[in-house]
Amino acid sequence: MQKLELHELSAGYGSEEVIHKISLKITEPSIYVVLGPNGAGKTTLFRTICGILKPFSGQATFDDADLFESKEARRRLAYLSHLNALPEEMTVFKALKYYADIEGGDVEHVLDVLNLNDLRDKKFSSLSQGQKKRVSVGKILLRERDLYLLDEPTSNVDPKISRELREILVKLSVDKFVFYSSHNLYEAREIGKYLILIKNGELKFFDRMENLRTGQYRVGIKTLNDVSKLMPEAVFENRYYVRTVNGPQEVAEIVRGLVREGAEIVELRELDNPLQEFFEEE
Amino acid sequence: MSFSRVTRKRSVGLSKTYFILGVAMTVYGVFLSNVLTLIPEDAGNMGGTPVELLNSFPFLSVAFLSLSALLFSLPIVMLFVYDKNNGVLEYLLSTGLDQLDIFKGYVKAALSLAAYLLVFAVVFNTVFGVFLGTSLTLLIVMAVLTFVIGMSEVFLVTISMMAFSSLQKTPMGANQPLGIIVGIVPMFPALILPMIFPLYAIVIDSLIAAITLLISLALLMSVGRLILREKLLP
Repeated sequence: MQKLELHELSAGYGSEEVIHKISLKITEPSIYVVLGPNGAGKTTLFRTICGILKPFSGQATFDDADLFESKEARRRLAYLSHLNALPEEMTVFKALKYYADIEGGDVEHVLDVLNLNDLRDKKFSSLSQGQKKRVSVGKILLRERDLYLLDEPTSNVDPKISRELREILVKLSVDKFVFYSSHNLYEAREIGKYLILIKNGELKFFDRMENLRTGQYRVGIKTLNDVSKLMPEAVFENRYYVRTVNGPQEVAEIVRGLVREGAEIVELRELDNPLQEFFEEE
Repeated sequence: MSFSRVTRKRSVGLSKTYFILGVAMTVYGVFLSNVLTLIPEDAGNMGGTPVELLNSFPFLSVAFLSLSALLFSLPIVMLFVYDKNNGVLEYLLSTGLDQLDIFKGYVKAALSLAAYLLVFAVVFNTVFGVFLGTSLTLLIVMAVLTFVIGMSEVFLVTISMMAFSSLQKTPMGANQPLGIIVGIVPMFPALILPMIFPLYAIVIDSLIAAITLLISLALLMSVGRLILREKLLP
Protein backbone atom coordinates (compact mmCIF):
# COMPACT_ATOMS: atom_id res chain seq x y z
CA MET A 1 0.00 0.00 0.00
CA GLN A 2 1.37 3.41 -1.00
CA LYS A 3 1.70 6.04 1.63
CA LEU A 4 2.65 9.67 1.91
CA GLU A 5 3.82 10.71 5.32
CA LEU A 6 4.68 14.10 6.70
CA HIS A 7 6.38 13.97 10.02
CA GLU A 8 6.67 17.20 12.02
CA LEU A 9 7.44 19.00 8.77
CA SER A 10 8.64 22.59 9.02
CA ALA A 11 9.93 24.56 6.04
CA GLY A 12 10.23 28.00 4.55
CA TYR A 13 12.52 30.37 2.70
CA GLY A 14 15.89 31.60 3.89
CA SER A 15 15.54 31.74 7.65
CA GLU A 16 11.80 32.38 7.64
CA GLU A 17 9.75 29.37 8.64
CA VAL A 18 6.42 29.30 6.80
CA ILE A 19 4.93 25.91 7.69
CA HIS A 20 5.25 24.58 11.20
CA LYS A 21 5.44 20.96 12.31
CA ILE A 22 2.84 19.51 9.96
CA SER A 23 2.22 15.81 10.42
CA LEU A 24 -0.14 13.62 8.48
CA LYS A 25 -0.27 10.18 6.93
CA ILE A 26 -2.15 9.37 3.75
CA THR A 27 -2.77 5.89 2.42
CA GLU A 28 -6.05 6.11 0.51
CA PRO A 29 -6.03 7.22 -3.16
CA SER A 30 -8.36 10.19 -3.32
CA ILE A 31 -8.60 13.94 -3.80
CA TYR A 32 -7.22 15.86 -0.85
CA VAL A 33 -8.15 19.50 -0.96
CA VAL A 34 -5.56 21.70 0.69
CA LEU A 35 -7.40 24.77 1.73
CA GLY A 36 -6.26 27.94 3.36
CA PRO A 37 -6.30 31.70 2.98
CA ASN A 38 -3.70 33.41 0.84
CA GLY A 39 -0.32 33.21 2.54
CA ALA A 40 -1.34 30.25 4.69
CA GLY A 41 1.55 28.11 3.43
CA LYS A 42 -0.13 25.92 0.80
CA THR A 43 2.49 26.51 -1.88
CA THR A 44 5.30 26.08 0.63
CA LEU A 45 3.77 22.79 1.74
CA PHE A 46 3.60 21.57 -1.87
CA ARG A 47 7.13 22.68 -2.63
CA THR A 48 8.39 20.86 0.43
CA ILE A 49 6.52 17.66 -0.41
CA CYS A 50 7.95 17.88 -3.94
CA GLY A 51 11.45 18.04 -2.53
CA ILE A 52 12.04 21.51 -3.93
CA LEU A 53 12.41 23.09 -0.51
CA LYS A 54 14.61 21.52 2.11
CA PRO A 55 12.70 20.99 5.35
CA PHE A 56 13.95 23.03 8.30
CA SER A 57 13.03 20.04 10.39
CA GLY A 58 10.95 16.91 10.02
CA GLN A 59 10.56 14.82 6.92
CA ALA A 60 8.29 14.17 3.95
CA THR A 61 8.38 10.59 2.72
CA PHE A 62 6.65 8.64 -0.01
CA ASP A 63 6.68 4.93 0.65
CA ASP A 64 9.36 5.63 3.25
CA ALA A 65 11.69 7.33 0.73
CA ASP A 66 12.71 10.86 1.69
CA LEU A 67 11.30 13.21 -0.93
CA PHE A 68 14.10 15.76 -0.59
CA GLU A 69 16.90 13.22 -0.83
CA SER A 70 15.55 10.68 -3.30
CA LYS A 71 15.35 11.55 -7.00
CA GLU A 72 13.50 8.29 -7.59
CA ALA A 73 10.81 9.21 -5.08
CA ARG A 74 10.43 12.64 -6.66
CA ARG A 75 9.97 11.07 -10.08
CA ARG A 76 6.82 9.45 -8.75
CA LEU A 77 5.09 12.75 -8.22
CA ALA A 78 3.90 15.62 -10.40
CA TYR A 79 3.67 19.23 -9.37
CA LEU A 80 1.58 21.84 -11.11
CA SER A 81 2.48 25.25 -9.76
CA HIS A 82 0.33 28.34 -10.15
CA LEU A 83 2.64 29.35 -13.02
CA ASN A 84 2.32 27.65 -16.39
CA ALA A 85 5.99 26.62 -16.35
CA LEU A 86 6.30 26.06 -20.07
CA PRO A 87 8.73 27.63 -22.53
CA GLU A 88 6.54 30.41 -23.92
CA GLU A 89 8.46 30.73 -27.18
CA MET A 90 7.65 27.17 -28.29
CA THR A 91 4.60 25.70 -29.97
CA VAL A 92 2.30 23.60 -27.80
CA PHE A 93 3.72 20.37 -29.21
CA LYS A 94 7.34 21.44 -28.80
CA ALA A 95 6.74 22.78 -25.29
CA LEU A 96 5.36 19.43 -24.17
CA LYS A 97 8.08 17.61 -26.11
CA TYR A 98 10.64 19.70 -24.20
CA TYR A 99 9.58 18.00 -20.97
CA ALA A 100 8.99 14.62 -22.62
CA ASP A 101 12.64 14.67 -23.78
CA ILE A 102 13.80 15.36 -20.24
CA GLU A 103 11.58 13.08 -18.20
CA GLY A 104 9.94 10.78 -20.74
CA GLY A 105 6.29 10.56 -21.74
CA ASP A 106 3.92 10.53 -24.67
CA VAL A 107 3.03 13.94 -26.10
CA GLU A 108 0.51 12.61 -28.63
CA HIS A 109 -1.42 10.86 -25.87
CA VAL A 110 -1.63 14.09 -23.85
CA LEU A 111 -2.80 16.07 -26.89
CA ASP A 112 -5.57 13.52 -27.40
CA VAL A 113 -6.64 13.30 -23.76
CA LEU A 114 -6.85 17.06 -23.32
CA ASN A 115 -8.24 17.78 -26.81
CA LEU A 116 -5.25 19.92 -27.64
CA ASN A 117 -4.69 18.73 -31.19
CA ASP A 118 -6.12 21.91 -32.66
CA LEU A 119 -3.55 23.92 -30.69
CA ARG A 120 -0.52 21.71 -31.32
CA ASP A 121 1.23 24.08 -33.76
CA LYS A 122 0.23 27.30 -32.05
CA LYS A 123 2.80 29.25 -30.12
CA PHE A 124 2.26 28.84 -26.38
CA SER A 125 2.56 32.59 -25.79
CA SER A 126 -0.33 33.25 -28.19
CA LEU A 127 -2.83 31.09 -26.27
CA SER A 128 -5.55 32.35 -23.95
CA GLN A 129 -5.15 31.88 -20.18
CA GLY A 130 -7.50 28.90 -20.19
CA GLN A 131 -5.73 27.22 -23.10
CA LYS A 132 -2.38 27.80 -21.43
CA LYS A 133 -3.65 26.16 -18.27
CA ARG A 134 -4.83 23.11 -20.22
CA VAL A 135 -1.44 22.74 -21.87
CA SER A 136 0.23 23.29 -18.54
CA VAL A 137 -1.81 20.45 -17.06
CA GLY A 138 -0.71 18.38 -20.03
CA LYS A 139 2.87 18.32 -18.85
CA ILE A 140 1.96 16.52 -15.63
CA LEU A 141 0.05 13.92 -17.62
CA LEU A 142 2.98 13.05 -19.88
CA ARG A 143 3.68 9.99 -17.80
CA GLU A 144 1.92 8.26 -14.98
CA ARG A 145 2.73 9.30 -11.42
CA ASP A 146 1.52 8.18 -8.04
CA LEU A 147 1.05 11.54 -6.41
CA TYR A 148 -0.22 14.71 -8.05
CA LEU A 149 0.08 18.11 -6.41
CA LEU A 150 -1.84 20.92 -8.06
CA ASP A 151 -1.51 24.43 -6.74
CA GLU A 152 -4.72 26.35 -7.43
CA PRO A 153 -5.15 24.83 -10.89
CA THR A 154 -8.46 26.53 -11.60
CA SER A 155 -7.50 30.09 -10.75
CA ASN A 156 -7.96 32.45 -13.71
CA VAL A 157 -9.71 29.87 -15.89
CA ASP A 158 -13.32 29.84 -17.02
CA PRO A 159 -15.91 27.48 -15.48
CA LYS A 160 -15.86 25.11 -18.46
CA ILE A 161 -12.13 24.49 -18.21
CA SER A 162 -12.37 24.29 -14.43
CA ARG A 163 -14.94 21.54 -14.81
CA GLU A 164 -12.81 19.67 -17.36
CA LEU A 165 -9.83 19.85 -15.04
CA ARG A 166 -11.83 18.60 -12.11
CA GLU A 167 -13.10 15.68 -14.19
CA ILE A 168 -9.54 14.70 -15.06
CA LEU A 169 -8.54 14.87 -11.41
CA VAL A 170 -11.51 12.81 -10.31
CA LYS A 171 -10.46 10.09 -12.79
CA LEU A 172 -6.88 10.22 -11.56
CA SER A 173 -7.94 9.99 -7.95
CA VAL A 174 -9.36 6.48 -8.43
CA ASP A 175 -5.94 4.99 -7.85
CA LYS A 176 -3.67 8.00 -7.25
CA PHE A 177 -3.17 10.57 -4.54
CA VAL A 178 -4.29 13.98 -5.76
CA PHE A 179 -3.54 17.10 -3.71
CA TYR A 180 -5.47 20.11 -4.85
CA SER A 181 -4.93 23.48 -3.26
CA SER A 182 -7.53 26.18 -3.36
CA HIS A 183 -8.81 29.14 -1.45
CA ASN A 184 -12.24 28.66 -2.96
CA LEU A 185 -14.55 27.28 -0.27
CA TYR A 186 -17.22 26.07 -2.67
CA GLU A 187 -14.83 24.39 -5.08
CA ALA A 188 -13.23 22.60 -2.13
CA ARG A 189 -16.51 21.11 -1.05
CA GLU A 190 -17.42 20.10 -4.58
CA ILE A 191 -14.31 18.16 -5.43
CA GLY A 192 -12.65 17.06 -2.23
CA LYS A 193 -13.19 13.89 -0.32
CA TYR A 194 -10.64 14.84 2.28
CA LEU A 195 -9.79 18.27 3.55
CA ILE A 196 -6.41 19.49 4.71
CA LEU A 197 -6.81 22.89 6.24
CA ILE A 198 -3.80 25.13 6.68
CA LYS A 199 -3.78 28.42 8.45
CA ASN A 200 -0.75 30.48 9.44
CA GLY A 201 1.43 27.58 8.41
CA GLU A 202 -0.20 25.15 10.80
CA LEU A 203 -2.40 22.16 10.12
CA LYS A 204 -5.84 23.02 11.48
CA PHE A 205 -7.90 20.13 10.18
CA PHE A 206 -7.35 16.87 8.35
CA ASP A 207 -10.29 14.55 7.92
CA ARG A 208 -13.08 13.60 5.57
CA MET A 209 -14.98 16.62 4.30
CA GLU A 210 -18.27 15.58 5.91
CA ASN A 211 -16.68 15.51 9.35
CA LEU A 212 -15.91 19.18 9.17
CA ARG A 213 -19.23 20.51 10.43
CA THR A 214 -18.60 21.80 13.92
CA GLY A 215 -21.13 24.48 14.82
CA GLN A 216 -24.50 25.87 13.91
CA TYR A 217 -25.34 26.75 10.34
CA ARG A 218 -28.31 27.96 8.33
CA VAL A 219 -30.39 26.10 5.78
CA GLY A 220 -32.90 27.60 3.35
CA ILE A 221 -36.05 25.74 2.37
CA LYS A 222 -38.03 26.78 -0.71
CA THR A 223 -41.59 25.54 -1.03
CA LEU A 224 -44.51 26.00 -3.39
CA ASN A 225 -46.97 26.60 -0.57
CA ASP A 226 -46.89 28.75 2.55
CA VAL A 227 -45.28 26.85 5.47
CA SER A 228 -44.80 29.76 7.81
CA LYS A 229 -47.25 28.26 10.28
CA LEU A 230 -45.44 24.93 10.19
CA MET A 231 -42.11 26.64 10.90
CA PRO A 232 -42.85 29.65 13.08
CA GLU A 233 -39.17 29.97 14.09
CA ALA A 234 -38.02 30.28 10.44
CA VAL A 235 -37.23 33.65 8.89
CA PHE A 236 -38.50 34.27 5.36
CA GLU A 237 -35.59 35.66 3.27
CA ASN A 238 -35.33 35.86 -0.52
CA ARG A 239 -38.06 33.22 -1.06
CA TYR A 240 -36.44 30.78 1.41
CA TYR A 241 -37.58 29.80 4.85
CA VAL A 242 -34.33 30.04 6.76
CA ARG A 243 -33.64 27.91 9.83
CA THR A 244 -30.56 27.68 12.02
CA VAL A 245 -29.67 24.06 12.75
CA ASN A 246 -27.06 22.11 14.68
CA GLY A 247 -26.37 19.33 12.18
CA PRO A 248 -27.57 17.27 9.20
CA GLN A 249 -29.76 15.11 11.45
CA GLU A 250 -31.83 18.09 12.47
CA VAL A 251 -32.28 19.08 8.81
CA ALA A 252 -33.60 15.61 8.00
CA GLU A 253 -36.11 15.84 10.85
CA ILE A 254 -37.35 19.24 9.71
CA VAL A 255 -37.83 18.04 6.15
CA ARG A 256 -39.64 14.89 7.27
CA GLY A 257 -41.97 16.96 9.45
CA LEU A 258 -42.73 19.43 6.68
CA VAL A 259 -43.49 16.73 4.12
CA ARG A 260 -45.74 14.97 6.61
CA GLU A 261 -47.74 18.21 7.05
CA GLY A 262 -48.15 18.65 3.29
CA ALA A 263 -45.31 21.07 2.45
CA GLU A 264 -44.26 20.99 -1.19
CA ILE A 265 -40.48 21.36 -0.96
CA VAL A 266 -38.73 22.29 -4.20
CA GLU A 267 -35.30 23.21 -2.90
CA LEU A 268 -33.13 22.80 0.14
CA ARG A 269 -29.81 24.55 0.45
CA GLU A 270 -27.11 25.22 2.96
CA LEU A 271 -26.65 28.94 3.25
CA ASP A 272 -23.30 29.08 5.07
CA ASN A 273 -20.18 27.25 4.05
CA PRO A 274 -18.75 25.40 7.04
CA LEU A 275 -15.25 26.24 5.83
CA GLN A 276 -15.93 29.91 6.14
CA GLU A 277 -15.14 30.08 9.83
CA PHE A 278 -11.59 28.93 9.14
CA PHE A 279 -11.02 31.93 6.92
CA GLU A 280 -12.19 34.41 9.48
CA GLU A 281 -9.57 36.12 11.56
CA GLU A 282 -8.96 34.68 14.97
CA MET B 1 18.48 15.40 -27.04
CA SER B 2 20.30 16.29 -23.80
CA PHE B 3 19.11 19.08 -21.54
CA SER B 4 22.15 21.24 -22.32
CA ARG B 5 21.69 20.82 -26.08
CA VAL B 6 18.00 21.74 -25.82
CA THR B 7 18.96 24.76 -23.71
CA ARG B 8 21.57 25.84 -26.24
CA LYS B 9 19.11 25.44 -29.10
CA ARG B 10 16.44 27.42 -27.25
CA SER B 11 18.81 30.29 -26.52
CA VAL B 12 19.77 30.50 -30.19
CA GLY B 13 16.09 30.71 -31.10
CA LEU B 14 15.35 33.31 -28.43
CA SER B 15 17.98 35.91 -29.14
CA LYS B 16 19.94 36.08 -32.36
CA THR B 17 21.06 39.66 -31.70
CA TYR B 18 23.74 38.60 -29.23
CA PHE B 19 25.15 36.02 -31.62
CA ILE B 20 25.42 38.59 -34.36
CA LEU B 21 27.00 41.06 -31.93
CA GLY B 22 29.44 38.39 -30.71
CA VAL B 23 30.62 37.57 -34.23
CA ALA B 24 30.77 41.26 -35.19
CA MET B 25 32.86 42.06 -32.13
CA THR B 26 35.21 39.18 -32.92
CA VAL B 27 35.81 40.44 -36.45
CA TYR B 28 36.25 44.00 -35.19
CA GLY B 29 38.64 42.92 -32.42
CA VAL B 30 40.79 40.82 -34.75
CA PHE B 31 40.90 43.55 -37.37
CA LEU B 32 41.65 46.37 -34.91
CA SER B 33 44.36 44.60 -32.93
CA ASN B 34 46.17 43.43 -36.06
CA VAL B 35 45.77 46.48 -38.25
CA LEU B 36 47.21 48.79 -35.59
CA THR B 37 50.47 46.87 -35.82
CA LEU B 38 50.78 48.12 -39.41
CA ILE B 39 51.24 51.73 -38.30
CA PRO B 40 54.79 52.72 -39.25
CA GLU B 41 57.16 53.37 -36.38
CA ASP B 42 57.87 56.91 -37.57
CA ALA B 43 54.29 57.79 -38.47
CA GLY B 44 52.57 60.99 -37.41
CA ASN B 45 54.82 62.74 -34.94
CA MET B 46 58.38 63.39 -34.07
CA GLY B 47 58.75 60.47 -31.75
CA GLY B 48 56.84 57.98 -33.93
CA THR B 49 54.95 55.06 -32.38
CA PRO B 50 57.03 53.33 -29.73
CA VAL B 51 58.03 49.81 -30.73
CA GLU B 52 56.82 48.44 -27.37
CA LEU B 53 53.33 49.82 -27.94
CA LEU B 54 53.22 48.29 -31.41
CA ASN B 55 54.01 44.94 -29.86
CA SER B 56 51.18 45.26 -27.34
CA PHE B 57 48.44 46.02 -29.91
CA PRO B 58 47.87 42.34 -30.75
CA PHE B 59 46.97 41.79 -27.09
CA LEU B 60 43.88 43.92 -27.58
CA SER B 61 42.39 40.90 -29.30
CA VAL B 62 42.57 38.87 -26.06
CA ALA B 63 40.16 41.24 -24.34
CA PHE B 64 38.00 41.75 -27.41
CA LEU B 65 37.64 38.05 -28.16
CA SER B 66 36.92 37.17 -24.53
CA LEU B 67 34.20 39.80 -24.44
CA SER B 68 32.83 38.44 -27.72
CA ALA B 69 32.54 34.98 -26.14
CA LEU B 70 30.71 36.48 -23.19
CA LEU B 71 28.34 38.31 -25.49
CA PHE B 72 27.82 35.19 -27.59
CA SER B 73 26.81 33.07 -24.60
CA LEU B 74 24.73 35.78 -22.92
CA PRO B 75 21.39 34.42 -24.24
CA ILE B 76 21.96 31.33 -22.05
CA VAL B 77 22.16 33.50 -18.95
CA MET B 78 19.08 35.40 -20.03
CA LEU B 79 17.28 32.13 -20.72
CA PHE B 80 18.12 30.99 -17.20
CA VAL B 81 16.46 34.09 -15.70
CA TYR B 82 13.50 33.68 -18.06
CA ASP B 83 13.05 30.00 -17.14
CA LYS B 84 13.38 30.78 -13.47
CA ASN B 85 10.72 33.49 -13.60
CA ASN B 86 8.36 31.34 -15.69
CA GLY B 87 8.51 28.45 -13.22
CA VAL B 88 10.26 26.11 -15.68
CA LEU B 89 13.14 25.48 -13.28
CA GLU B 90 10.76 24.82 -10.41
CA TYR B 91 8.98 22.24 -12.53
CA LEU B 92 12.25 20.62 -13.56
CA LEU B 93 13.16 20.24 -9.89
CA SER B 94 9.85 18.55 -9.20
CA THR B 95 10.47 16.00 -11.96
CA GLY B 96 13.42 14.56 -10.08
CA LEU B 97 16.25 16.70 -11.44
CA ASP B 98 18.28 18.38 -8.76
CA GLN B 99 19.80 21.84 -8.77
CA LEU B 100 23.19 20.60 -9.95
CA ASP B 101 21.66 18.79 -12.94
CA ILE B 102 20.00 22.04 -13.95
CA PHE B 103 23.12 24.07 -13.25
CA LYS B 104 25.24 21.72 -15.38
CA GLY B 105 22.73 21.96 -18.22
CA TYR B 106 22.97 25.74 -18.43
CA VAL B 107 26.73 25.90 -17.80
CA LYS B 108 27.46 23.28 -20.45
CA ALA B 109 25.23 25.12 -22.91
CA ALA B 110 26.96 28.45 -22.18
CA LEU B 111 30.48 26.98 -22.33
CA SER B 112 29.81 25.09 -25.55
CA LEU B 113 28.44 28.22 -27.23
CA ALA B 114 31.44 30.23 -26.03
CA ALA B 115 33.78 27.48 -27.23
CA TYR B 116 32.29 27.60 -30.74
CA LEU B 117 32.96 31.31 -30.98
CA LEU B 118 36.38 31.16 -29.35
CA VAL B 119 37.60 28.44 -31.70
CA PHE B 120 36.44 30.53 -34.64
CA ALA B 121 37.93 33.68 -33.10
CA VAL B 122 41.41 32.32 -32.30
CA VAL B 123 41.71 30.59 -35.68
CA PHE B 124 40.65 33.79 -37.42
CA ASN B 125 43.02 35.89 -35.32
CA THR B 126 45.94 33.52 -35.87
CA VAL B 127 45.45 33.33 -39.63
CA PHE B 128 45.00 37.09 -39.91
CA GLY B 129 47.99 37.73 -37.64
CA VAL B 130 50.26 35.40 -39.60
CA PHE B 131 49.12 37.08 -42.80
CA LEU B 132 50.13 40.48 -41.39
CA GLY B 133 53.44 39.17 -40.08
CA THR B 134 52.76 38.84 -36.35
CA SER B 135 54.95 36.27 -34.61
CA LEU B 136 53.33 32.80 -34.61
CA THR B 137 54.55 32.12 -31.07
CA LEU B 138 52.90 35.32 -29.88
CA LEU B 139 49.68 34.36 -31.67
CA ILE B 140 49.66 30.93 -30.03
CA VAL B 141 50.21 32.47 -26.59
CA MET B 142 47.34 34.87 -27.26
CA ALA B 143 45.13 32.02 -28.46
CA VAL B 144 45.69 30.16 -25.18
CA LEU B 145 45.10 33.30 -23.09
CA THR B 146 41.94 34.16 -25.04
CA PHE B 147 40.58 30.68 -24.57
CA VAL B 148 41.32 30.56 -20.84
CA ILE B 149 39.97 34.05 -20.11
CA GLY B 150 36.94 33.66 -22.39
CA MET B 151 35.84 30.32 -20.96
CA SER B 152 36.51 31.41 -17.35
CA GLU B 153 34.53 34.61 -17.91
CA VAL B 154 31.54 32.73 -19.28
CA PHE B 155 31.67 30.26 -16.41
CA LEU B 156 32.01 33.07 -13.88
CA VAL B 157 28.98 34.94 -15.18
CA THR B 158 26.83 31.82 -15.48
CA ILE B 159 27.55 30.55 -11.98
CA SER B 160 27.23 34.03 -10.46
CA MET B 161 23.82 34.46 -12.02
CA MET B 162 22.65 31.17 -10.57
CA ALA B 163 24.21 31.57 -7.16
CA PHE B 164 23.36 35.20 -6.41
CA SER B 165 19.75 36.11 -7.03
CA SER B 166 20.50 39.82 -6.62
CA LEU B 167 22.30 39.62 -9.97
CA GLN B 168 19.12 38.60 -11.75
CA LYS B 169 17.28 41.89 -11.53
CA THR B 170 16.06 43.51 -14.68
CA PRO B 171 16.10 47.14 -13.58
CA MET B 172 13.77 49.67 -15.17
CA GLY B 173 12.47 47.18 -17.69
CA ALA B 174 15.92 46.60 -19.18
CA ASN B 175 16.36 43.02 -20.17
CA GLN B 176 20.01 42.84 -19.13
CA PRO B 177 20.77 40.71 -16.12
CA LEU B 178 23.17 42.45 -13.75
CA GLY B 179 25.37 39.36 -13.62
CA ILE B 180 27.08 40.25 -16.87
CA ILE B 181 28.88 43.05 -15.04
CA VAL B 182 30.74 40.30 -13.18
CA GLY B 183 32.17 39.26 -16.52
CA ILE B 184 32.71 42.66 -18.07
CA VAL B 185 34.57 44.33 -15.19
CA PRO B 186 37.69 42.07 -15.32
CA MET B 187 37.97 42.85 -19.02
CA PHE B 188 38.74 46.53 -18.48
CA PRO B 189 42.26 45.87 -17.18
CA ALA B 190 42.80 43.48 -20.10
CA LEU B 191 41.87 46.28 -22.50
CA ILE B 192 43.74 49.15 -20.86
CA LEU B 193 46.75 47.84 -18.93
CA PRO B 194 48.64 46.30 -21.90
CA MET B 195 48.49 49.74 -23.56
CA ILE B 196 49.86 51.50 -20.47
CA PHE B 197 52.52 48.91 -19.73
CA PRO B 198 53.28 47.48 -23.18
CA LEU B 199 56.38 45.62 -22.02
CA TYR B 200 54.30 43.65 -19.54
CA ALA B 201 51.31 42.95 -21.81
CA ILE B 202 51.84 39.21 -21.78
CA VAL B 203 52.32 39.15 -18.00
CA ILE B 204 49.19 41.24 -17.41
CA ASP B 205 46.99 39.05 -19.62
CA SER B 206 48.47 35.90 -18.06
CA LEU B 207 47.66 37.26 -14.60
CA ILE B 208 44.09 38.09 -15.60
CA ALA B 209 43.73 34.61 -17.10
CA ALA B 210 45.08 33.02 -13.93
CA ILE B 211 42.83 35.09 -11.64
CA THR B 212 39.61 34.47 -13.62
CA LEU B 213 40.47 30.78 -13.89
CA LEU B 214 41.18 30.52 -10.16
CA ILE B 215 37.95 32.32 -9.22
CA SER B 216 36.02 30.06 -11.59
CA LEU B 217 37.61 26.94 -10.10
CA ALA B 218 36.92 28.17 -6.57
CA LEU B 219 33.28 28.74 -7.47
CA LEU B 220 33.13 25.32 -9.11
CA MET B 221 34.42 23.74 -5.89
CA SER B 222 31.73 25.55 -3.86
CA VAL B 223 28.93 24.93 -6.28
CA GLY B 224 27.18 22.51 -3.92
CA ARG B 225 26.85 25.24 -1.32
CA LEU B 226 26.20 28.13 -3.69
CA ILE B 227 23.47 26.65 -5.88
CA LEU B 228 20.49 25.75 -3.75
CA ARG B 229 17.14 24.50 -5.00
CA GLU B 230 15.43 27.45 -3.38
CA LYS B 231 17.39 29.81 -5.63
CA LEU B 232 15.77 28.33 -8.70
CA LEU B 233 12.26 29.24 -7.59
CA PRO B 234 10.37 32.07 -9.32
